Amino acid sequence: MDLIFEGLREAWRLLSTGDGDIYEITVRTAVITGTSTLVALAIGMPIGLGLALARFPGQRGFVALANAGTGTPPVVAGLLVAILLWRSGPLGSLGLIYTPAAIVIAQALIATPIIIAITAAAVMALPPTLHLQVRAMGADQRQYLWLIAREARLPLLVAVMAGFGAVVSEVGASMMVGGNLSGETRVLTTAAVLEVSRGNFGAALALGFILLAFIVAIAAVLTTVQQRARRR
Amino acid sequence: MTAARALGFEDVRVRRGRREVLRVPELSVHEGETVAVLGPNGAGKSSLLLTAALLLPVTSGTVSLFGEPARPRELVKLRRQTSTVFQEPALLDMNVRRNLETALSLHGVRRGERRERSEAWLGRLGVAHLAAAMPHTLSGGEARRVSLARAFAIRPRMLFLDEPFSALDVETRAELVGDLRALLRDEGTTALLVTHDHSEAQLLADRSLVLLEGAPAQLAPTADLLEAPESPEVAAFLGYSVVPRRDLPAPIAEALGGALIGVPPAAVRLADGGATAEVTAVQGAHGQGRLLLRIGNATLAAALSVTEIGARELHPGARVEIEVDPGLLVSWPSEQA
Repeated sequence: MDLIFEGLREAWRLLSTGDGDIYEITVRTAVITGTSTLVALAIGMPIGLGLALARFPGQRGFVALANAGTGTPPVVAGLLVAILLWRSGPLGSLGLIYTPAAIVIAQALIATPIIIAITAAAVMALPPTLHLQVRAMGADQRQYLWLIAREARLPLLVAVMAGFGAVVSEVGASMMVGGNLSGETRVLTTAAVLEVSRGNFGAALALGFILLAFIVAIAAVLTTVQQRARRR
Repeated sequence: MTAARALGFEDVRVRRGRREVLRVPELSVHEGETVAVLGPNGAGKSSLLLTAALLLPVTSGTVSLFGEPARPRELVKLRRQTSTVFQEPALLDMNVRRNLETALSLHGVRRGERRERSEAWLGRLGVAHLAAAMPHTLSGGEARRVSLARAFAIRPRMLFLDEPFSALDVETRAELVGDLRALLRDEGTTALLVTHDHSEAQLLADRSLVLLEGAPAQLAPTADLLEAPESPEVAAFLGYSVVPRRDLPAPIAEALGGALIGVPPAAVRLADGGATAEVTAVQGAHGQGRLLLRIGNATLAAALSVTEIGARELHPGARVEIEVDPGLLVSWPSEQA
């Protein structure tokens, strides 16, 4: 128990005194996870919409693939990206390994299948008559996609939350492709792992609290948006 | 002078999956008229409506709206001249006024005019007080009214209605049919209406089409169709008892020629001193009862109010005396007709 109280005291000290490293890591985490989520949304939502709305051979197989992808272990995603970006790898010439960009790529790879699967499920769950009604109202393809996405906006916000939750909490991929380099690629999760390995439980707990507060704050914002959308 | 053709089908065939659901060699709906599409479940009524509304692609043949063939590039432009009201109101998840305004914006109506027209149409349908309400708070009848207001607000040249009043209580349904009748007349909108209800067709449609197994069986002015079905199949669908002449007792069989006789339920009356028949089944819905009666070797249906059925304590096995009005009977020359 002493270890826990000692850790809590240390965490409070680090947070209240405004430790420079912790704030830098927090900001970097926000930028990297925010970018990964946006990249995954930009890729995943159109693919999810396409999977739900288009009719093509093998459509069910692709949906099943997206569903299976929601369980992609971060370590596997990290390994794949590491192989691609390794200096002798196919994309090694880009020099991205052990950079924040590499973490963004790996995290986007983790979040994209989640967003595809939830987007496709959300759109497929809309009543078939609604699709016909929107077309019957004279919507062109762009207006149709917009109105359908709008109708599915509540579950689509779940896709955003799930995608963000997956990237903000993963550690394996960030460690593997980012290298946990101080001042460059260290994020809250990798920093916490490092502090535990050093026996600095106070610092690790402080990082854990910040991570939790970060997740709760983002979830609160998204939930507020969701509830407002529900009332409108 | 014949009105211009609003909707045209030429050799239209439609497949859904592996099944051919529609075969329509020719169909015309003229501007200003309302045509009802009647048929049993699975006859292809909704497929016909979706095809006409350019929401279901044809496998072969041509659908044209206002003289313009529906080519893929023209679909959105042509759909914007029409409105469709489905069995479920299919309102968007936004308040009632915005539902109408969104439909108007898709038709390029300017922002200022959208609110004006939305409020005017909500008022005409008696739901102006619901402008700020969300669809999930509306009753079935209110949602249908909003759906109709949205459909009319865009001033469609043609309106498609797919059983718009099903699953409503009798009173609400009757009110809505009356209101729709007035709107169609006042606006002069051409309409294609899919319905199961013959009385709806009688009240709303100038002509009615009976669709059987995906193909038109008869298209005629509604009163003519209901009173003089051209084939035993159409008559059977309309509720006639279709029986071989030889199976009927002499007084009825001698009323008119032909090998097959069609007896509408309205032609059969309970009457003391008439021919004796045995009740084989008692059926009923929406306050209207129906007796199935065994007479000679034939089974005839008789329309009777549920009140009368109750008052006479009619049950299967009961014996009754009936008269058949020969003026309402129809006949066909061949049993294979």
